[in-house]
Amino acid sequence: MTAFMDFLTVFTQPELLLLVGLGTFAGIYVGAIPGLSVTMAVSILISFTFSWDVYPAISLMIGIYMGGVYGGSRTAILLNIPGAPSAIATALDGYPMAKRGEAGTAIGVTTVMSIIGGFVGIGVLALAAPLVSDFALRFQPRDYMLLAILGILLVGSLSQGSLVKGIFAGALGIAIGAVGRDPLTFAERFTFDFQLLEGGISFIAVMIGMFGVSEALLQLHHVNKDAVRQKISRIVPSLSTVKKHLPLSLQTSSIGVIIGALPGTGGDIAALMAYDHAKRVTKNPERPFGDGAMEGLVAPETANNAAVGGAFIPMMTLGIPGDAVTAIMIGALFIHGLNPGPMLMIDQPDMFWFIVGCLVMANIFMLIFGLTGIKLFTRIVEMPRSVLIPLIMLLSIVGAYAVNNSITDVYWMLGFGVFGYFMRHYGYPLGPVILGVILSRLLDDNWRRAIISEQEDLGRFFAGIFSSPLSLVLFVSVILIFVSQTPLWTKAKARIFSKERPRA
Amino acid sequence: MKRMIIGALSALALTATAAVAEYPEKEIQGIIQWGAGGSTDTVMRSVTPHAEEALGGTVVMQNMTGAVGAIALNHVAGSAADGYTLLMGAENPLLYKVMGLGDKDYSEFTPISILARGTPVLVANPNSPFNDYAEMMAYIKENPGEVKFGSTGPGGLPSVVTAMISSVEGGLDVTAVPYDGDGPALTGLQGGAIDVMPAVLGAAIEGIRAGNMKVLAIMDVAANTKLPDAPYITQFNDAYNTYLPWGPFFGVFVPNGTPDDVVAKLSAAYATGAQHPDFVQLMDDRGFTLMAITGDEADAFLSKWQQGTAWLLQDADLTKASPEEFGIARPGE
Repeated sequence: MTAFMDFLTVFTQPELLLLVGLGTFAGIYVGAIPGLSVTMAVSILISFTFSWDVYPAISLMIGIYMGGVYGGSRTAILLNIPGAPSAIATALDGYPMAKRGEAGTAIGVTTVMSIIGGFVGIGVLALAAPLVSDFALRFQPRDYMLLAILGILLVGSLSQGSLVKGIFAGALGIAIGAVGRDPLTFAERFTFDFQLLEGGISFIAVMIGMFGVSEALLQLHHVNKDAVRQKISRIVPSLSTVKKHLPLSLQTSSIGVIIGALPGTGGDIAALMAYDHAKRVTKNPERPFGDGAMEGLVAPETANNAAVGGAFIPMMTLGIPGDAVTAIMIGALFIHGLNPGPMLMIDQPDMFWFIVGCLVMANIFMLIFGLTGIKLFTRIVEMPRSVLIPLIMLLSIVGAYAVNNSITDVYWMLGFGVFGYFMRHYGYPLGPVILGVILSRLLDDNWRRAIISEQEDLGRFFAGIFSSPLSLVLFVSVILIFVSQTPLWTKAKARIFSKERPRA
Repeated sequence: MKRMIIGALSALALTATAAVAEYPEKEIQGIIQWGAGGSTDTVMRSVTPHAEEALGGTVVMQNMTGAVGAIALNHVAGSAADGYTLLMGAENPLLYKVMGLGDKDYSEFTPISILARGTPVLVANPNSPFNDYAEMMAYIKENPGEVKFGSTGPGGLPSVVTAMISSVEGGLDVTAVPYDGDGPALTGLQGGAIDVMPAVLGAAIEGIRAGNMKVLAIMDVAANTKLPDAPYITQFNDAYNTYLPWGPFFGVFVPNGTPDDVVAKLSAAYATGAQHPDFVQLMDDRGFTLMAITGDEADAFLSKWQQGTAWLLQDADLTKASPEEFGIARPGE
């Protein structure tokens, strides 16, 4: 009963309600601007809310977090520039929709799906947090490595057209991710004795350049062409549309919760994996993936918002951050005199239920702010290109600078922008590059961790995989997904099914 | 002519005094060496608002990460020595030179305040087959190479603690599994990916209280008030007295050449801020020992820390370059 009262705290105090709302609203805009990240916003808020009580401070942070994860989809759909890494997959099908004049519909679907994903995440957090965190802790370095390999196999889904070009792009991404001082041994890799390369290449700078600047350069080709008029008659998706996508959204939300709950992986990987999953299970999309398939929006947007609830699971039950934002929130709780850790749920259960309440509230606000103001947003894409292109450049430069307050990042961003332009020009997909950069560290660190733990003995390493059910499941999935993408399998499948069909 | 020079000089002197008298007349930048949410970040963000009150100015803090903090250090070292750029860092820069991570360390800086010091603790997964330090050492002797220790790269706290154990016990045959920080390593410990982790008490204390990890020994010369029942290392082996007490620390620095009155004003502000009850409470909760030292005392602390640690790592053959090359004297010489 007291748990229920704590849960209701946020609903009964107008001040807290207002702060969650304000946070969500601000979060949507922070998230929509590439480079301005939720992580940054929340860390600034720590100093800002220092003298406040803990409840108002947490309310504001949760609002920003929820809103920001959702806001990243806005620019992804409208401008093909993901506002945050977790919206990369959203751009793949969202932008084609906007180009067709369906930006309103795309944003509407995105909003509703984000909320469904958000609620699944919160539901799991509220009802099964200890179970999920126990499961997440079971992931050993070798399991993270297998997960990263599974992620790299997504290259197949992300490269439209040529798989070879996709593999090239993915490999490039992995190489970019390896530049700089190796975080495990501090050895320099690919730095060529330049101090500037020691810190590595900021992956946000790569993302902004590849998507933002290359888009601006590409648009220069038809600077005089009129912008597509956007139809905004139907924003809220019909109930039948939501119903149709409900099974998929529940599956991709579960992917989101699990990936979100794993320490070290977050909404970005969750969204990409969900996109891949959607592509695999959707037999007959109304439009092909990459061309504006609704499923291509449903999957990443449910998954990245479900990952928010997921990230709170290890934070609340163990004091272990599920992602970068929850890491900062743990710091905030310390500063406000709480001791986040395994004892928090026992010593101060009110905090847990209060956070669940805030998340629910933020989700509701997301619906309100998400569905209003769409008209204003879609105007952005209707602007003349001569205004839009400089605007994209400006946003990209500010965004790249803001990540680390470093001008070097701006140069990287511009360089990768020009490079990305040529890649697109010659039909090389950009998605796999970003995928490679994201997964590079995960794969590299965990492979070495795993093999060092086994005293650098491959025999022991495989014995480890086969003795753990979790590793075995991941290992088998890697093999199956890999084999299913080879031409050999397609042939074999055709033969088996053609033989079996007459019998059935 | 002479009068003009005198006039100009006195005008200069006047403006100089005026500028100092008004310090701070604009926003001060605080560069935090580590990422948001980490220990250094938490400490700096919680002490600085109290220091701001005493100073009557604003300190805008930002995280500048990368290259084990060297990017932030080089940035502040390269900025004007006017007291408007502060470096908020931890102990790592004192090892940059011997680790080959950079050519600058705190010798380029004037300490404003060494705020607090942490105590290392050896924790283990609750299912591991040993319950204290002595049992662990016995187990390692029987099963060489089998026990997995977490590490955070050369120069990190675990590398110093294992170097200490290895020099006291004459060897430590374990497998060191590298992690990029003590947070991820302690997560790995709770999941059974590693068996033992030398960590700072503050990072492990909540896990210990919940029984998710067990204490093998506190790396200190006396019992700790936060964990009065836990054994401390000198109970097992007196030889640790040579190296202890030792621990990571947090401090605020300005580049050398900053005017003395600015240094004095900042030092006083941080000294006041560090005594604020909220900060004292936070440090106590996280198991840090409050120091708040400045001036000569801080300089002496830094050079003693650097000598002891650099030579310990040198003797364990973990350094890239000998401390001798940088004029870091062997302790006691």
